[in-house]
Amino acid sequence: MSWDYLFVQVANGAVIGVIYALIAVGVTLIFSILKIVNFAHGDLYMLGGYFAYYVITLLGMPPLAAMFVSMAALFAFAIVLERMLLTPLYDDATERKDEYGLIVTFGLAFFLRNIAVIAFGPFPLKPPSFIPGVQRVGGLIITNDRLFAGGVGIALILALLYFMHRTIWGQALDAVSQSRESAAIVGINARRFNSFAFGIGAALAAAAGALIAPIFSLAPDMGVLPNIHAFVIVILGGMGSVLGSILAGILLGEAETLFTAFFPDPTRALAYTNGFGLLILMIVLVFRPQGLFGRRHLRME
Amino acid sequence: MRGLHVYILLAAAALALVFADQLTSYWMHVAIIAMFYGILASSWSLLAGYAGLFSLGHMAFASIGGYASGLLVQWYGIPIPVGMAAGVALCCALGGLIGWVCLRMSGPYLAIFTLGFAEIVRITFATEDDITSGMAGLHVERLFDTPSRLPYFYTAFALLAVSLLLMGGIVRSRWGLFLRAIREDEQAASASGVAVARFRILVFAIASGFAGLAGGFYGHYLGILTPSLGGLDLMAVLVVMTVIGGIERLPTAVGGAFAVEFLLEVLRGDDQWRLPLFGIVLLLTMRFARNGLLTPVWLQFVRLGEARAAATMASRDVPQKDPGR
Repeated sequence: MSWDYLFVQVANGAVIGVIYALIAVGVTLIFSILKIVNFAHGDLYMLGGYFAYYVITLLGMPPLAAMFVSMAALFAFAIVLERMLLTPLYDDATERKDEYGLIVTFGLAFFLRNIAVIAFGPFPLKPPSFIPGVQRVGGLIITNDRLFAGGVGIALILALLYFMHRTIWGQALDAVSQSRESAAIVGINARRFNSFAFGIGAALAAAAGALIAPIFSLAPDMGVLPNIHAFVIVILGGMGSVLGSILAGILLGEAETLFTAFFPDPTRALAYTNGFGLLILMIVLVFRPQGLFGRRHLRME
Repeated sequence: MRGLHVYILLAAAALALVFADQLTSYWMHVAIIAMFYGILASSWSLLAGYAGLFSLGHMAFASIGGYASGLLVQWYGIPIPVGMAAGVALCCALGGLIGWVCLRMSGPYLAIFTLGFAEIVRITFATEDDITSGMAGLHVERLFDTPSRLPYFYTAFALLAVSLLLMGGIVRSRWGLFLRAIREDEQAASASGVAVARFRILVFAIASGFAGLAGGFYGHYLGILTPSLGGLDLMAVLVVMTVIGGIERLPTAVGGAFAVEFLLEVLRGDDQWRLPLFGIVLLLTMRFARNGLLTPVWLQFVRLGEARAAATMASRDVPQKDPGR
């Protein structure tokens, strides 16, 4: 096992981790504002990837611009979904909101995944690279697409952090997540922020889908595993903690890549990688349900 | 005549049994699969609808029950019913264990935990192919040594009937009340003297046992098991069936399973559209009729006998205690 091999694996793990984090941050944001776990998040990621693909191939736009178009489209689409399906969550007459949010997002995932088979076909599609070619550093070889995905992913996460901490809208979002009533008292329209948070989460997922598309390919069921990964990250990082999600995302990306690289039986390594992440998830849920970096007031009882 | 609906149901069941041999082989297969889903939907309704424990691992337990029974029969040559019983016992034990581990989890956390469990089970079955034959599918000995489907129909019918009677007994007893109390408010239930922990573990074990029973029958009926039995796609179908029918009652859950399985077969021509279609129906059901589409029908059906009973009672001038229920 050479050092070069290890470094390549670490670099790949970091890129995948950033993409995971991008998806997981959306799950966390939606959870902290709407108080639901979005089981359809992976499918929004899938739609984002396909949307960018069609913008590139049909409209001939450059891939990076297509990514932003896809983000905007999914932002709008998610707000429509939220208005249509999730408004009963804010109604006091609705009993057992947890259950409602669960079944509706689970059903939405089922619907989107199956409609995608019809709309896009069951066969994998691959959009053109952002930047073709590879980088060599010594014995290291990394494709430009991976570097690009990692870089843009980090930039988007930094932009989100800036938005959350330094702008008035971000502060308002934080206020709503801490206390809906107090936020209403100081004049924040909490309902509007429900839509907004769901849209932002979907836009980040769309960006992740567009970034990952040239590395892996697009398929209607591509969202299933990232969705589960997002849960692993969100549980690991603590529900509602954006920073925790980012750290946990990179941690999981590394752990999984190294697990695959060093698992003794290579024919089974890939299959068990996903199981490994899930095992982490179950252990954390049992022993530390608030996550490694959870915020106390957001713990769900 | 109080309980008229019971007699109607018994008559319908008797008719189904008597005229079962008139069904074509294809529709008999559909009916058998519908009854398989009926056991799963009703036991999931016991877990998710009555006790409020929204587990996504129910199909995984069916898968475990099926594989356990199939492998035990294959390895030790034990009779198939004994193998199925062993599968049920294993699922009860594992279900109880899962119930115990997630005692402190609620709502979405429980769903995510059981989702993780289900995926690990599926991945393990798919990967350990020297034991389970992986995605190629495990060949399981068939329950009856005959090409006819009729014996399977009767067996499925008997299993569904027994499952419903047992679960119906549970939900009508004090236990059913305790389960619903836990669903509504765990702390209040605990304060009123319900042993919340014990019942959460118990209901997990019972529901998982029924899932294992259904899975065992499924394997010995089809003769082949694949890891996708415990996958998320079938779990989603089970959720669709149960929620569309009505998650809070056993008969409506079974009705949902029958209706959805039947419609899936009728719509088989439009292969691609039927799944998204049921996705939309599920979303609309949640949005506008959260109790399920069959619940009003069932309540009307149950009231059929009661209304007449009330009318005859009133005509005899007997004071009514609670006429307008």
